[in-house]
Amino acid sequence: MASANNRATAPGPNRSLARSRPRYGEAAVKVLLLAAALVSIATTLGIVAALLEPTIEFFSEVSLGEFFGSTSWGPLFSPPSFGVWPIIVATLEITLIAIIVAIPLGLAAAIYLSEYATPRVRKIFKPVLEVLAGIPTVVFGFFAFSFVTPLLQDILPFSLDPRNALSAGLLVGVMIIPIVASLSEDAMSAVPRSLREGSFALGASKMTTSVSVVLPAAFSGIVAAVILAISRAAGETMIVAIAAGFKSIFTFNPGSEMATMAAFIASAGSGDAPVGSIAYKTIFAVGSLLFIMTFAMNWFSARMVKKYREVYE
Amino acid sequence: MTQPNVTLRGPDVPNTPGSLDPVFTVEDLSVFYGDYEAVRNVDMMIGRREITAMIGPSGCGKSTVLRCFNRMNDLIPGAHIKGKILYHEEDLYGDHVDPIEVRRRIGMVFQKPNPFPKPIYDNVAYGPRVNGIKKNMDSIVEEALQKAALWDEVKDKLKQNALSLSGGQQQRLCIARAIAVKPEVILMDEPCSALDPIATTKIEDLMQELRQEYTILIVTHNMQQAARVSDRTAFFTADVDDAGVRHGRLVEFDQTTRIFTKPSDKRTEDYITGRFG
Repeated sequence: MASANNRATAPGPNRSLARSRPRYGEAAVKVLLLAAALVSIATTLGIVAALLEPTIEFFSEVSLGEFFGSTSWGPLFSPPSFGVWPIIVATLEITLIAIIVAIPLGLAAAIYLSEYATPRVRKIFKPVLEVLAGIPTVVFGFFAFSFVTPLLQDILPFSLDPRNALSAGLLVGVMIIPIVASLSEDAMSAVPRSLREGSFALGASKMTTSVSVVLPAAFSGIVAAVILAISRAAGETMIVAIAAGFKSIFTFNPGSEMATMAAFIASAGSGDAPVGSIAYKTIFAVGSLLFIMTFAMNWFSARMVKKYREVYE
Repeated sequence: MTQPNVTLRGPDVPNTPGSLDPVFTVEDLSVFYGDYEAVRNVDMMIGRREITAMIGPSGCGKSTVLRCFNRMNDLIPGAHIKGKILYHEEDLYGDHVDPIEVRRRIGMVFQKPNPFPKPIYDNVAYGPRVNGIKKNMDSIVEEALQKAALWDEVKDKLKQNALSLSGGQQQRLCIARAIAVKPEVILMDEPCSALDPIATTKIEDLMQELRQEYTILIVTHNMQQAARVSDRTAFFTADVDDAGVRHGRLVEFDQTTRIFTKPSDKRTEDYITGRFG
């Protein structure tokens, strides 16, 4: 009895290395975590599946040649027309205006917060910046329509439609500044102090250090931030619907009214198109196209990041 | 050239370190982080084209003092000094002094190799470029790498990322990077503590080479290293004051041979002989 007891508790070679009692909790946690990860994958697959069938049906009625070969878009008119370019151009143009606004301002804000601001200033500014991301986009839309457009009409030398791509793009840009700024700031703050010190020790100024050492070292994180911001801009619906309108016009003029892909989906999807009609299927075809465009951009950025990233450590 | 025979004064430095041609003269230096006095009342002189080692137990403020010589502590909010550091008779902390200009003259090599995640060439060219040099960059880079005894190992892969090099090579690259701006002084903050013995030997050999042209200050945890490479040694330790707060202070500063053979302070002797620290 006593010797058996000794064997179980005494240290040394006699004590078994086998697990003393089963750890059920560990297995349960693992299953739960896996399930959580699977939800987002399942959702993505579900969206692809939902998009796929109506899209295939759409292209059995409308040829790819007509879809990509014409510049007249009016699936809800009679006779309907299915040239998708006007809404692609509108989407790209507004996205371009948005990133022209958001990249310089967002990066400048990130550099300020990460390299120049004192900890106290950063503690106040960063949450305020992130609040900007929490403003409902419908508010941005009305602000663009009722304040920015009239202001631009007063100061710009060329004429602007009451609904136009320019003010929509500007406000989409403002909307995505926090994404660029906040994520870039995270990436820049993660750059080790030792790299900055190495630069300062060579007589570099703060600006040189930020631009030549910190920015390149944080490049992959910054690209990820910008791509996420572009995806948000390309898919933005409420601002462009209110500020740029629903009229599909094939034009590159930023002062003109134009409908983006997201705006088309919103308007066509909110009741005009009977289920099963060609107009209804068009919504899914455009949705698929937007999905593919965003997906291609993400894939391209992943490659860019891999190619140009400066790995420290 | 006449070498002035300098006697160091100060409460803890009663000895004569022999003749030296001072690049730095430290007078009653105290370093603060906010209200905390990290190092107290340091007096010492750094001789031209000599290697001066700073040794002592952890937390004795030797790195803190080292970082005063290129005003690196300016980057830490709340850090400030009392007393004076003269660089060729110019007050390093004078109102007119630009810390950026200081760092162009006084280079630094850090404890952990910290090459930029860029090609080897760009690492070395970074300093000269920052200083506005555009011409003859190839020869500047080659010369710096030659002096850092790294040229033969990297001359065929200058476009490769610096992080592909081994730790010892990275540290020599950091030395090349510092040399490329043609400084007068190189500060080294435990440059070998992250390296294996072979890489350490290479860096130590290199220091002897560099000594022909540069003034070197090295902080090291390794007493044998101080004994091997340096001309003069400063021994720091930390005192605990009445309020229980630790303050670093300079105990003894002398020629290395004397510090290691007949130190004049009991604390130095205890440390050297391994009785504490």
